[in-house]
Amino acid sequence: MSYDTIKSIIVALALLVALGIFVRYAWQRLWVYLRRGQTSPKFSDWGERIKGLIVFVGAQWRLFRFRLPGIAHFFIFWGFLLLSLTILQAIAEGLMAFANPQFVLPVIGTWGPLAFVQDFFALFVVIAIGYGLYLRLIVNPERYKGSHRNQGVKVLTFILTIMLSLLVMNGLRINLNEDLLGRYRPISTLIGGLFVGLPEATQSIIEELCYWIHLGVVMLFLTELPQGKHFHIVTSIPNVLLRNLEPRGRLPVTKTSDGAAGVSKMEDFRWRTMLDLYTCTECGRCQDVCPAYNSSGLLSPKLLVMNLRRNLQERGAALSAKQTNGVLSKSLTGEIVGEEALWNCTTCYACDQECPLFIEHINPIVEMRRYLVLEGKMDKMLQDALANLGRYGNSLGQSDRMRAKWTQGLQPAVKDARREPVEYLWFVGDYASYSPTLTDVTRKTAEVFSKAGLNFGILFDAERNSGNDVRRAGEEGLFEMLMGKNMQALGKCKYETIVTTDPHTYNTLKNEYAWDGNRPRILHYTELLDQLVASGQLKFSKKLAAKVTYHDPCYLGRYNGVYDAPRRLLRAAGCEVVEMPRHGDRAFCCGAGGGRIWMEEKPGHARPAEIRIREAAALTGVQSFVVACPKDVTMFKDAVKTTGNESRLQVQDLIEFVQEAI
Amino acid sequence: MKIAVPIKFVPDLVEELNIDSSGAALDTSWLRLIINEFDDHAIEQAILLKERGGAEVTIICAEGDGVDDILFNAAAKGADQLVKLMGSDAAMMNSHATARVLADFFKEIQPDLILTGVQAHNDLDGSVGALLAEYLGMPYVGYVAGVTAASGSVIARKEYPGGIIGEMEVKLPAVLGIQAAEQPPRYVAYSKINQVSKTVKIEERAISDLDSSGGATVGRMFKPEPAQRAEIIEGSPEEVADRMVGIFKELGVM
Repeated sequence: MSYDTIKSIIVALALLVALGIFVRYAWQRLWVYLRRGQTSPKFSDWGERIKGLIVFVGAQWRLFRFRLPGIAHFFIFWGFLLLSLTILQAIAEGLMAFANPQFVLPVIGTWGPLAFVQDFFALFVVIAIGYGLYLRLIVNPERYKGSHRNQGVKVLTFILTIMLSLLVMNGLRINLNEDLLGRYRPISTLIGGLFVGLPEATQSIIEELCYWIHLGVVMLFLTELPQGKHFHIVTSIPNVLLRNLEPRGRLPVTKTSDGAAGVSKMEDFRWRTMLDLYTCTECGRCQDVCPAYNSSGLLSPKLLVMNLRRNLQERGAALSAKQTNGVLSKSLTGEIVGEEALWNCTTCYACDQECPLFIEHINPIVEMRRYLVLEGKMDKMLQDALANLGRYGNSLGQSDRMRAKWTQGLQPAVKDARREPVEYLWFVGDYASYSPTLTDVTRKTAEVFSKAGLNFGILFDAERNSGNDVRRAGEEGLFEMLMGKNMQALGKCKYETIVTTDPHTYNTLKNEYAWDGNRPRILHYTELLDQLVASGQLKFSKKLAAKVTYHDPCYLGRYNGVYDAPRRLLRAAGCEVVEMPRHGDRAFCCGAGGGRIWMEEKPGHARPAEIRIREAAALTGVQSFVVACPKDVTMFKDAVKTTGNESRLQVQDLIEFVQEAI
Repeated sequence: MKIAVPIKFVPDLVEELNIDSSGAALDTSWLRLIINEFDDHAIEQAILLKERGGAEVTIICAEGDGVDDILFNAAAKGADQLVKLMGSDAAMMNSHATARVLADFFKEIQPDLILTGVQAHNDLDGSVGALLAEYLGMPYVGYVAGVTAASGSVIARKEYPGGIIGEMEVKLPAVLGIQAAEQPPRYVAYSKINQVSKTVKIEERAISDLDSSGGATVGRMFKPEPAQRAEIIEGSPEEVADRMVGIFKELGVM
């Protein structure tokens, strides 16, 4: 048998084995295991979905939020796509060697411009891989903590070997005049130049050796691919294509049956969530921006996903093997994911926003919380808050009759929207209504509304907590009850626009309430005032000369994209706005969201609000830390004290500046 | 084991309390009622006993606003039977009348163990538990903070001042006044309560005539009145001392 025939046989066998392993794993993970998950809602809006593929896979848009690693990945990704064609050529060449050792695929092996681009991309990939190895082995940033480092390094080495063997092989072929497209490959030509002095026979042997290394490592990679984080190469396209297109601030409803809700075991998740788990690349961008990870360290969105993925694999295997104990008896909420980790999420959306592949963290966390709530497993303070919300409609446990007490003595008196039609129905919210430290700010808001000539009113004691954070704490039934009562009260009023003090209220009213297609205009007070300034209805008589920094509330910024209105207002009032390093969609959460404000803070580590205050205190000349969320006032006033920045920074609500400048 | 937990509603102190025109009772028009906190602990203790060793738990409450919700809440925790006592004055019964009504009922259903909240802030004529034990001729232990089932008896745990803990065996049937369950009353998710309210029935039981004798009669109910005699003495220590001596002499104690 000739060498060429043996070559064909070996390549065919290797391909068969590698593909066999790949298909077996992929089938098991993507078909057998995923099928055990719950059905996902129907996917629609395909135009938007395909656009997402172009932007987020093709252009790798979200990856550039971490600039250098993003650029490196961009080249590896496109290099992979372009150079997979050279792999096809290498396989075809081997398979056909018995008939024609110089076999080339049409176009792929004959089109010069493609060869030119591939040649350069091979070099770019080598450089990017070099950076990747440097990042993993030398820099080793915190975000990689807990990721499979060896696996990452192994695959980087694979790709490096595939690229280098390709370049050397091509270079030698150019030297040996075996490459029809040699003149299109300047990089390979350069590398070939290194071997020019060697006898042709030696060059020929090295060339053949490179071929085998190239193909061999490709086959190894193929078997490695479905077994770890590199499975994202397969799943990222469907994952981005089938991403959640609902508004960010709308949590999916839970599947309920016989009063049961939430997720207590892996198979309770939707298969779509399971696909998320397989798509995680362990890059740790989510962990890097997570306020819980950066304060208590009790939750890492990345480790959460990795732990869930491991459980999916292990349970999947155990269920397939018809086992009845072992891994199947491990509790999802407790042993796989710690209860403490689940309760530490502030639902700030930083992780979901950062994930280049649209993996969702908050949804599965809330689903698991729903189960914990059903089991009554929660923090005592949270339990009291929920009980108060159920009984009095506010988390502070005060009488609902006292909700509008802050209006007493205000001139002109605040209208009762239940009794007379108003243009603006002001949904005040719990903290702004009851908290003794906040009612002063609430009164100032009323004053500003009056001076702006707004025809506004409130619901008085008919208003209930909007339920945004009740829902995120996992108490879906209570959320529905609160929503029902608010909708009932709102249904009896005549108004055109709802304006809210609290971004959390704003979010759920806008994105989650059951308006049945009749959603009124809903504005946060900063949006409304910004519009009034623009239209000239609200005029400032004073220019305040304050130098301030503005903190974007998660539920106003990241969730609903309101970044400019508050800043424009501050500038219109004469303030100079200095940005913190993390601002806009990168703003660092105060730590109160998702029901965290009702839970106990474990002592012994920095709290998110303290980290944030230190960030602001490092800005030179800034006297005021401006917020636009009542929860922020509470959280940051406290943090300013505990970090000893009372004399340097003053926490103020934006409305205070507006009121002063009028 | 059959456990019965009679519960009652008391005014919610979150609301301001007002006295009605008679001057001898609370103004009910502004009153909001809430389950007596100790009764909530009695329910929790009953559920814990059921979870540990099995029991059939019956919750009994006089009709009133919000009573159905609390009964369903208890059912969602694990209570088996819900009984509502019907009668126009049911919510206004004093402890003696309540105990007599309950005693009649318990003679009929024959529970092994009766758990009641040890007290309520509006008890004017003693706690229901002790009276009930008397009418039923059963032993009574109050201020219990933990119960363990044994055969034919229960071990009741009591906490005494100074960190002393006592355990006593009580022959069944018996009445225990619960001060605190072994764990705080659990939270029940709304979806669970909604589910239960669709499947569990509340048994309604008419109360015949009430016998309130032995109870207290309220002469006058009033809010704390500022004392008239208080005098704030200001000045240097010497001046204050001189003034005090003067006062003591005026009062004839010096």
